[in-house]
Amino acid sequence: MAALERLKSLGELLTARSSILPGRAVLEFKPDDVRRLFSGLIEALGPDGFFVSTISATDLPGEGKVRLDYFVVLLPEEETLVFRTYLPRDKPVIQSVSDLVPGALPGECEAYDLLGVVFEGNAQLKRGFLAPEDAVKLDEYPLRKDSRV
Amino acid sequence: MGGRKIVEVPVTLEVPVGPQHPALHEPLLLRVYAEGEEIVRVEVNTGYNHRGIEKLCEKNSFHKNVFIIGRVCGICNTVHTDCYVRALEHLLGIEPCRRALFLRVLAMELERIHSHMLANAVLALNVGFENLFMNIMLDRERVMKAKEVLTGSRVMADYIIVGGVRRGLDDDKRDKIAGLLDALAPRLEYYKRVFEEDETVLKRTIDVGKASRLDAVRHSLLGPVARASGVAVDARASERYDAYGELDFNVVVKSEGDVWARAMVRWDEALEAVRIARQVLEKLPSDGNPVPDERKLPRKFPAGEAYTRVEAPRGELTYYVVSDGKGPNPYRVKIRTPSFNNIVNSPFMFVGYSVADLPAILASLDPCISCMERVTVIDVENGARRSMALRELAGGA
Amino acid sequence: MAKLKLLGLSLRNFLKGPATVEYPRVPAPVEPDYRGRHYADLRKCTGCSVCAIECPANAIEMVEVPSGYEVPASNRRRVYPLIDYGKCVFCYRCVAVCPFSAYVVSNEYKLAGPEKPDSGPLSLDTLSRVGGG
Repeated sequence: MAALERLKSLGELLTARSSILPGRAVLEFKPDDVRRLFSGLIEALGPDGFFVSTISATDLPGEGKVRLDYFVVLLPEEETLVFRTYLPRDKPVIQSVSDLVPGALPGECEAYDLLGVVFEGNAQLKRGFLAPEDAVKLDEYPLRKDSRV
Repeated sequence: MGGRKIVEVPVTLEVPVGPQHPALHEPLLLRVYAEGEEIVRVEVNTGYNHRGIEKLCEKNSFHKNVFIIGRVCGICNTVHTDCYVRALEHLLGIEPCRRALFLRVLAMELERIHSHMLANAVLALNVGFENLFMNIMLDRERVMKAKEVLTGSRVMADYIIVGGVRRGLDDDKRDKIAGLLDALAPRLEYYKRVFEEDETVLKRTIDVGKASRLDAVRHSLLGPVARASGVAVDARASERYDAYGELDFNVVVKSEGDVWARAMVRWDEALEAVRIARQVLEKLPSDGNPVPDERKLPRKFPAGEAYTRVEAPRGELTYYVVSDGKGPNPYRVKIRTPSFNNIVNSPFMFVGYSVADLPAILASLDPCISCMERVTVIDVENGARRSMALRELAGGA
Repeated sequence: MAKLKLLGLSLRNFLKGPATVEYPRVPAPVEPDYRGRHYADLRKCTGCSVCAIECPANAIEMVEVPSGYEVPASNRRRVYPLIDYGKCVFCYRCVAVCPFSAYVVSNEYKLAGPEKPDSGPLSLDTLSRVGGG
């Protein structure tokens, strides 16, 4: 894909490559590299060369992991790439990129409130961003597979 | 001036705007910190309308979810169902006949027209022009009638299903819809002229709520808000899903980035939507029955993930559906609505403007709070149903 | 200038009378295939319960046909789908998935009233009574 060519400089950070329907490239990286990855994106594409469209967290209790996907749209072709990483389920902590890319803020807050992924450095993570009071009181993360809601 | 120092102590007044909102008919709390009339900071407080849809989708079958998904948002229900159904069709590897694809486009474009008319009418109401609001709503009724003719209901279309659409379109209905569009188009042009010429509207919307191109991209703003700031993103043009690959349309972009530009982008898009709808009605292919037999839809979905994007009236809407191949229910359904990005990232747009500009700026973002907070939790143990929590989300500038 | 034009428009509208359709004094203009009140024709229904299973709003409950009604032989369990119109969202999934196309549709939308309606009386009326009565 043409847009992918521009990300050659990030090659060392990307550990695996696959795809999801319909034909979108999935690039895996290690959780510790998240800030280097996004700084590299800003350097390679410019601050207005891409935007973070969606951040999706999926609970995989069978593998003991939480899968975190950053869906990034590259401009001007508007091509979507998926940056994927896996976090250990008992301690899903990753550094926040909301200071580099402010658009990641809502996605990080939602992943924290609904699944418990902690984004270090994001001062605005709060329980109750979306989840209702009783779930917060019971310390429940609603989208986890073993949640009692 | 002698040796006196004058120390100014700014007094910031916290003005809670909402959740019974003056600008919208949906609950959202904006804590506005104002010095006199000027806004210095805004905090967005969400959580009033969280309904638990993502969790609910994991507990219902793929096909039942089509109807649940349609009820995420009233104004954008066809685009939600279209996005979800296309994700399912990717998983299954099926493609509906061209006639069905054209009909889907027709439903979505009709929805775009009425949504933009509503957004601009609400903007007119918020700048004080109530008469304009009433007149736009009157003409909007034509679109609601067209939707009723096409889908069977004015708002909730329930029109799209895996494999096609749920109702056919015969020639009588097609002519009726064409007639309604012909009556509507000159009215849309008239309203566009009102927004271009009327002094009250211009005074209250020009140079208000500006967002630069860089800000719009960095903050992941979407839809008409981004296009009014010069960012040419339109999922219809890039994905070319359904029948958009065969239709001719323009992506409307303006560069001013203020409330007026957003309103004009919406009017231009509404006119483009009328053009697209007319093309659909003219070019409607007859290559098969667009209505699949709902009794024979596949129940077992192979394992896989699909990520689809659609251009909702408010921006890019994305669905991420994961199927584990084991049961009739999806493993994960992630919905990211455009209002989620637009509203939660919006506080930087308010700073520096007066409190009186706040409703105008908020209405120009076209907030759809029910789209934004699609999760409510039903506590199975108590049987109790609660749907709100008030915590702060500081969305500082 | 536009303000004057809008003023002219307002005056004309004022003289024309309200644009609102004054329902319920006048009937609201509804399409003949609007998704309105529907019910199961029990002469065709076999009690297979697919509609109840597929309803996204859980508005359909399979209940027993009361005694005194003649039920077709194909309906062995003597049950029929009772639609609670209060819960129903009129998506017509039941209509579409019924294997026997047993649903009767209409564009009846006037369902608001002091009592919560359900499809019981309509469905049962499709059956003939037995044992005199």
